[in-house]
Amino acid sequence: MDLDTIFGFPPQLFAALALLMPLASAALIALTLRRQGNIAALVSTFTAALVAVIGLTLAFKGARFGVNSPVSAEWLNLGGFTLSLGFKFDDLSALMLSIVCVIGLAVHVFSLGYMHDDDSKARYFGGLSLFMFAMFGIVLADNLFMIFIFWELVGLGSYILINHYHFKASAAAAAKKAFIVNRVGDFGFLLGIIACYAAYGTVNLNDLAALHSPVAGALGVGIPLLLFCGAVGKSAQLPLHVWLPDAMEGPTPVSALIHAATMVAAGIFMLCRIEPLFALAPQAFTVVMWVGAATALYAALCAVTQTDIKKVLAYSTLSQLGYMVAAFGLGSLKVAHGEASAHEVVLAAGVGAAMFHLTTHAFFKALMFLGSGSVIHGCHHEQDIFKMGGLSKRMPVTFITFTIGVLAIIGFPGLAGFFSKDAILYLAMENSTPVFVLLCLTAVLTAFYMVRLWKLVFLGATRSDDAAHAHEGGLSMTIPLVALAALSVVGGYEAIYGGHFDGVLKLIAHPHGGAHTTIFAVSLLVMSLGAAAAFLFYKPAPADTLQTKAPGAFASLAGLQKSFDAVYNYYVAKVQQRFALVLNYVDLIGISGFIVRGGAGVAGAVSLAARALHTGSLHAYVYWFLGGSALLWFLATR
Amino acid sequence: MPDLLLLSIASPLLAALLLLVPAPLASRKVIAGLGFALPAFIALYLWSQFSSATLAHGYAFGTQYDTGLKDALGISLHLGLNGISLPLFLLAGLVGLAAGLYALQSKAERPALYLGLLLVMQAGLMGVFASIDVFFFYFFHELALIPTFIMVGIWGGRDRSYAAMKLTIYLTIGAMISLLGLIALYHQSGAENFDLIALRQVVADGALSGSNQNVIFGLLLVGFGILVSLFPFHTWAPLGYGAAPSSAAMLHAGVLKKFGLYGLIQIAAPLLPSGVAHWAWWLGLLAVGGNILYIGFVTIAQRDLKQMIGYSSVMHMGYAFLGIAAYNVVGIGGVVLMMVAHGFSVALLFLLSTSIYHRTQTFDMDDMGGLAQKTPVLAAFFVTATLASIGLPGLANFWGELAIFVGAWSYSTVYTTLAVSGVIISAIYGLRSVSKVFFGDVTPALAKVIGEKPPADLSWGEKVPALLLLSALLVLGFWPKAISGPVNTAVSALYGK
Repeated sequence: MDLDTIFGFPPQLFAALALLMPLASAALIALTLRRQGNIAALVSTFTAALVAVIGLTLAFKGARFGVNSPVSAEWLNLGGFTLSLGFKFDDLSALMLSIVCVIGLAVHVFSLGYMHDDDSKARYFGGLSLFMFAMFGIVLADNLFMIFIFWELVGLGSYILINHYHFKASAAAAAKKAFIVNRVGDFGFLLGIIACYAAYGTVNLNDLAALHSPVAGALGVGIPLLLFCGAVGKSAQLPLHVWLPDAMEGPTPVSALIHAATMVAAGIFMLCRIEPLFALAPQAFTVVMWVGAATALYAALCAVTQTDIKKVLAYSTLSQLGYMVAAFGLGSLKVAHGEASAHEVVLAAGVGAAMFHLTTHAFFKALMFLGSGSVIHGCHHEQDIFKMGGLSKRMPVTFITFTIGVLAIIGFPGLAGFFSKDAILYLAMENSTPVFVLLCLTAVLTAFYMVRLWKLVFLGATRSDDAAHAHEGGLSMTIPLVALAALSVVGGYEAIYGGHFDGVLKLIAHPHGGAHTTIFAVSLLVMSLGAAAAFLFYKPAPADTLQTKAPGAFASLAGLQKSFDAVYNYYVAKVQQRFALVLNYVDLIGISGFIVRGGAGVAGAVSLAARALHTGSLHAYVYWFLGGSALLWFLATR
Repeated sequence: MPDLLLLSIASPLLAALLLLVPAPLASRKVIAGLGFALPAFIALYLWSQFSSATLAHGYAFGTQYDTGLKDALGISLHLGLNGISLPLFLLAGLVGLAAGLYALQSKAERPALYLGLLLVMQAGLMGVFASIDVFFFYFFHELALIPTFIMVGIWGGRDRSYAAMKLTIYLTIGAMISLLGLIALYHQSGAENFDLIALRQVVADGALSGSNQNVIFGLLLVGFGILVSLFPFHTWAPLGYGAAPSSAAMLHAGVLKKFGLYGLIQIAAPLLPSGVAHWAWWLGLLAVGGNILYIGFVTIAQRDLKQMIGYSSVMHMGYAFLGIAAYNVVGIGGVVLMMVAHGFSVALLFLLSTSIYHRTQTFDMDDMGGLAQKTPVLAAFFVTATLASIGLPGLANFWGELAIFVGAWSYSTVYTTLAVSGVIISAIYGLRSVSKVFFGDVTPALAKVIGEKPPADLSWGEKVPALLLLSALLVLGFWPKAISGPVNTAVSALYGK
């Protein structure tokens, strides 16, 4: 099965190429193509196409390496500490790499149209290339330090791209917020990695997977939880979720690539990478499960009141990421081995379900974000869904593909999201009833807010001039939509992966018999309930129907959404800033205090000499110094 | 082959002397440029030859000159580079060149004197890191320090007289205390000369008792600590850098300030292990509680761009002190990497902040905003320099900080945890400052200034030195082994048990 060579070269070489080509593209653009936006766009897109070919070839031709024998080079070595640059390309990273390649290419192509008239196209495409480089680094890394390095670099890509419209204060603030909030998560992540290195003597993923027992004391559970902090930041889980809705300030294709499909999902990917550490200390799973479930429900509630098409999708992303994190946290499942056999095996079903949902979500959420980009582009940068309506006739491709995306996310039978969501619900049903209830509630809300969005944007009469003059974008925008729509339809059928990702997909727990019926019924019920309620409830009006009919409920949902930002803003403005100002004052007192007390005594003579410096007798001083040195010399050598 | 180390010290001095000859400014500038460039090229060449050079006691390129002091005081001009001094020698050469190039295009009054003093500073810096003899190590520091005072006094900005006085008082006291410590070390060890290699051999034979070590290391820690702005002896730094002319600030904050850390790592700590152990807890407390957390928050409160950079530099010295307190190969190696990286990044930040000032006529960040719309290249440089200084991977500073954290974990998990939280603080002030200066709307105050004089983007005179520093940050960021190999060898020899 293993592929030894491609065109006579080892596959590791191609992996290195896939990693470095986007970096080269970014460097080329930064150094020479700053003023040639169109060429920069082509360079970046061509690179994305090339690495997609390489990446998909590696993944689907069965090239796997870095699992049994290390593929690594020393990056830094001090004393006993070695940090290496190495590849681990197993089924998990092959799956993730494929997702990044496909979505990355789709977004590059879409951007050719969407960013066509942008003044800073070169910076935009340079940023995309930089991001691709960093994301590949995370996916291919064979150790935690390397993951961390590229983890911070994807953050840089995200920072640059959120900040694309840097002349807008809101975009600048959002970029800054994203970086700082992620740094809070990375603080824990880095500590976890260092603690892991100190406790186990290694941060290599293969070595960690081979551990038999956790380190004694609190660190056994503490290490996986500290590492989880990284995922809380990057995957925007409670309470560090606040940066993701703001990150919508970036251009919409960026939201699709970075803030929906790949970078924010890196947290879940990283958790799956370190699953063995959780398996050693299963209490850590519980924390992860609750954080994920809480995020899923909270964000779904927030999504209901949003008026900006991208914000609805952003909260939806948060909610779905919560789903994945909860799935991972639900942990393993004992399943019967074989058909009628008596003995059971422990299946890392959390990993399977989380990665499965990550995959399908990448397809349909990238689809919907690009669809929203198409809508925004068509409506002359109008983002308010209450000023849209009736776009189904004016933008038919966008309408049909977006509809497929909506059906996929709400779990319509047969589409991608249906299968992955059911895998998570089944696992929850087996492992934790309260989480099962939370996730079902979330699913109802998901159907509710998605159908609300869909109806307000595409059905009814148009409610603004911009929407009335909406038009479809060019082929570069519609082709990615159609491709992603196709994947959103078939992405749930394991057969399309051709058995290449069995290392992950075989971990998915499938319900049998009665459980199967129950899950199917529950899934269908929650979807229909939410979708029908929204469809019947929302009127195609310029105001939110919930706000007019139940202002109390609407206000409390809106308040819930704003609560975290309110607390953080209070902290930053009233606590942190004041604390800093007080310390600054203390420091100034220290300065003047020294001069007042010390100035008279010890420093008196010195200050006299110093004063001589700037009264114009500079030359004299220099001669004094030289003369003094000469005198010293003379006396010493005598 | 001529003695390149001696040449690297002599050439800027010679250029400084030649500047005294009356000649057209253009030809004087050529001479000064050569004086700045030669040490940089020598440093690069020696760095490329280091791995194949023969080492004697860990030092390559060794040469010795009797200056006439050998018999009387045991002092000789002994030059050479080991794995710790090599990267700093390289730093001095490159930052010196960048500061020199930036000075050449600046419009300072009395340009010949300005360039001459910078050249003397450059010579002193090359000498500090090339010296094996402790006397000359100290002498060259003084040679570089005195022009600093003069330059702040003459060409300084706001509060220059006060700043110059304060700088002089603090740094002179710091230098005197460290001299006292060095003399005590020499005296108590019974060494017969000031040569560091000889000192190491004498001390290795157990010449220093524990209590002696405690006192001597205490003296050196305070003396060197003042020079490196160890809390609470830091207050000179933001004030001094706020006032210093850009090239002097680049050379002082970038290179000369490292003298104290270099003295601790190369001389004091390996010779006085039980002295370090005695003070380690206090040192960690001052470094983490003072430099990193306290100064970190003070940095957040700054409105003045240069003061902010000055304070952030003080904060980053906390990581270096933490690495010394950790006292292991990873931690100390990390300190060396960080010293080099910080030198490049802080020099770049000071350079760019002056370039910003030329366009905004203010250092007050509250009066700036939206500058990226006018000067995108300047913005890109400044953002990258800031990201380097806050430890983003891909840029040099990351490796030093990371190694210090890894090394410090075994020394104290509490200190390490608190120190790592500093990465959040630095992200806050770093990103806040770039956002205030470059992004969002153009403030009314700035609109008025740029209405009178539309800002041009970075000129080549500014871009070349900036690119030099930025390239160094990127090369070391992607290829830390460019210097970590020699660092590891030397630090392992001194600190590996």
